[in-house]
Amino acid sequence: MTQRLELPKGGFNFENYQRNVALEQQGLKLPTPTKTGTTVVGIIFKDGVVLGADTRSTAGSIVQDKNCDKIRYMAPNVYCCGAGTAADTQFTNSLICSQLELHRLATGRETRVCTALTLVKQMLFKYQGHVSAALILGGYDVTGPRLLAVAPHGSTDKLPYLVMGSGSYAAIAILENRWKKDLERQEAIDLVQEAIEAGIFNDLGSGSDVNITIIEKGKVDNIKGYARPNRREPKCRSYKFARGSTATLNLSAVTVTEGDAMDTS
Amino acid sequence: MDHFPNYWGMPPQESFDRYNIFQDKTKNNAISDPTTNTKQPIVTGTSVIAFKYKDASFGSLARYREVERLYPVGEYTVLASSGDFSDFQYVKHTLDKIMTKEYYTNDGHILGTPHIYEYLSQVMYHRRSKLNPLWNAFVVGGYHNGEGYLGYVNLLGTTFQASTITTGIGMYMASPLLRKAVEGHEDTLTEAEAVDLVEQVMRVLYYRDSQSINRYQRAKITAQGVEISPLLSAPTDWSIGKDLRGYQ
Amino acid sequence: MSFYPYTDNGGSALAIAGEDYCLLASDTRQSGEDYKIHAGYVPKAFKLTDSCVYAGVGFSADGVALVKRVRQSIEWYRHAHEKTMSTPALAQMIATVLYSKRFFPYYVGTILGGLDENGRGVVYSFDPVGSFEAELHKAVGSGAELIQPFLDNQVNLKFLPEVERTPLPLDVALQIAKDAFTSAAERDTKTGDYLEIFIIDREGVNVERFDLKRD
Repeated sequence: MTQRLELPKGGFNFENYQRNVALEQQGLKLPTPTKTGTTVVGIIFKDGVVLGADTRSTAGSIVQDKNCDKIRYMAPNVYCCGAGTAADTQFTNSLICSQLELHRLATGRETRVCTALTLVKQMLFKYQGHVSAALILGGYDVTGPRLLAVAPHGSTDKLPYLVMGSGSYAAIAILENRWKKDLERQEAIDLVQEAIEAGIFNDLGSGSDVNITIIEKGKVDNIKGYARPNRREPKCRSYKFARGSTATLNLSAVTVTEGDAMDTS
Repeated sequence: MDHFPNYWGMPPQESFDRYNIFQDKTKNNAISDPTTNTKQPIVTGTSVIAFKYKDASFGSLARYREVERLYPVGEYTVLASSGDFSDFQYVKHTLDKIMTKEYYTNDGHILGTPHIYEYLSQVMYHRRSKLNPLWNAFVVGGYHNGEGYLGYVNLLGTTFQASTITTGIGMYMASPLLRKAVEGHEDTLTEAEAVDLVEQVMRVLYYRDSQSINRYQRAKITAQGVEISPLLSAPTDWSIGKDLRGYQ
Repeated sequence: MSFYPYTDNGGSALAIAGEDYCLLASDTRQSGEDYKIHAGYVPKAFKLTDSCVYAGVGFSADGVALVKRVRQSIEWYRHAHEKTMSTPALAQMIATVLYSKRFFPYYVGTILGGLDENGRGVVYSFDPVGSFEAELHKAVGSGAELIQPFLDNQVNLKFLPEVERTPLPLDVALQIAKDAFTSAAERDTKTGDYLEIFIIDREGVNVERFDLKRD
């Protein structure tokens, strides 16, 4: 007798949710996802948008990645900074990114930042905060420079300067203190650098370098390591192991003759 | 004790209690209940900030309505508190008693800032060890032996000294600004710069700490003693609000 | 909201015992809950006698309280016996103090580095309730999982069967300690700011201070 295979309809499968809650109550430790305990900021300046991010990702108090990229491509004129669970920000980004590409192919028009935002917020709201992605979207479209943020439950903000992540308090302090309307390009970059560095030095979840992306009309500048305030000093000693440092427990030799046919049986 | 003579000598009638003389067992009652410890703060205040500059240390804070949270102890020390207000009042009272006792002992020895800080730290750690904490984070600022002195102690008895100290939400938002402006410049920062810095930080805290109001006090401690300012407000600018439209 | 009387202030410490010296290193960062840095320079290692240094990592207030108590006892011992307490005696005494709070422990990972009565380097490590052991090298604290295997390999020459074992000279131990901390600061968020290295030898105790990364 043949069985009909039910294909999943897409989206998340929550059937183990109750079970996991019960197991956790009994003391089971579930694996912790990598969080980009992060500082990301975006500001609007006179004729564009500057996005900035640190490059540390953490799992608890351990640094998972010292040089990760948190400013990601969404469309040729739209970039996105992500904070929250690394997997959620990455998958949300690439999913929406594909949808935007298809949308451009279907309409033949440049993507608007607002379109990207709507797709993201509708997806995040659907998942009721279980997808923990907090994103800042920045871009330049037919309406001019745009800067928008989405919180994990799907609420959005439109402000001339925005921050997200665990270092957001440090960064917002700098921005509230120094932000002005109609900043020049270099002033804006300096301010973003200062805000990210405040996160790097005052928040344990943020660290390493400052990455910056500047989006202007018809032009995007991606600067990895715009500032590197945390270069590691050279080690005092060399830790190259002498040949033979690894003990050999047993040896077995296999003779390989050139041209042997692959066993495909 | 039953204060109604009509009932004296009668059997208790909890089921029919006309004058409501029997205690309601479902409600907390200070007489019959066992001693309870503070498990949460009740009336609280928000951030305190403090830092050292050229010839003094500086304390300041956002205020809770009209309530003052900077308190001078002796001639060269200021105690600043965030957290439970009744516990702060108790500590003020305790320190005052000690300062009075020191005064009439009149042995030529006065308690300086480090001594007051050490005493307070021990009190805080002792109370946490009795699981009956004083629900505060204190900053003790002062001037001692020709130098500014700043110390922090909280409800767990955790202590540290640094050239910039903040409490409450100020730990997240005031610290970055203060560290940038103060660390490494303790000996060159002028009083005018220090005053300006306090104002900048207070403004940012007012913008972003939903618990704060735009009213603060500033204490200056120098070789000349303690000077606590009257009520101050930081000038604010909300003009970007008119340009904001919508959320997407 | 219920009162929990402990917190973790992070930080790491290590100690290496040599032939005629002992080295004890710790970072000076004090971190708080929720990714906070309280302050960059809050020492957690303290000189106890001319031949012994202590480091306590974990709940900073307990660490400080423990040092206060131990120093008090050292003072009383000196008055009672007219001599300074030896490092092995101190280790036993600290264990007793820790166990005296068995059911409300001092939440600290403790190491003791110094010289014994014969002038040889010794390291003692303690758990929070007083179990202790003499060792040749030990790392404790938030970066211990990163540092300990490195010390096992470089100091104790673990997993290097062919290597000839010679006593570790002080300058090499110093380099290993520095590299251990710069590496731990790379990967442990709670270790950083400054590194303090105590060197204990027949001359007494010397402290050196180095910068670590501050992010």
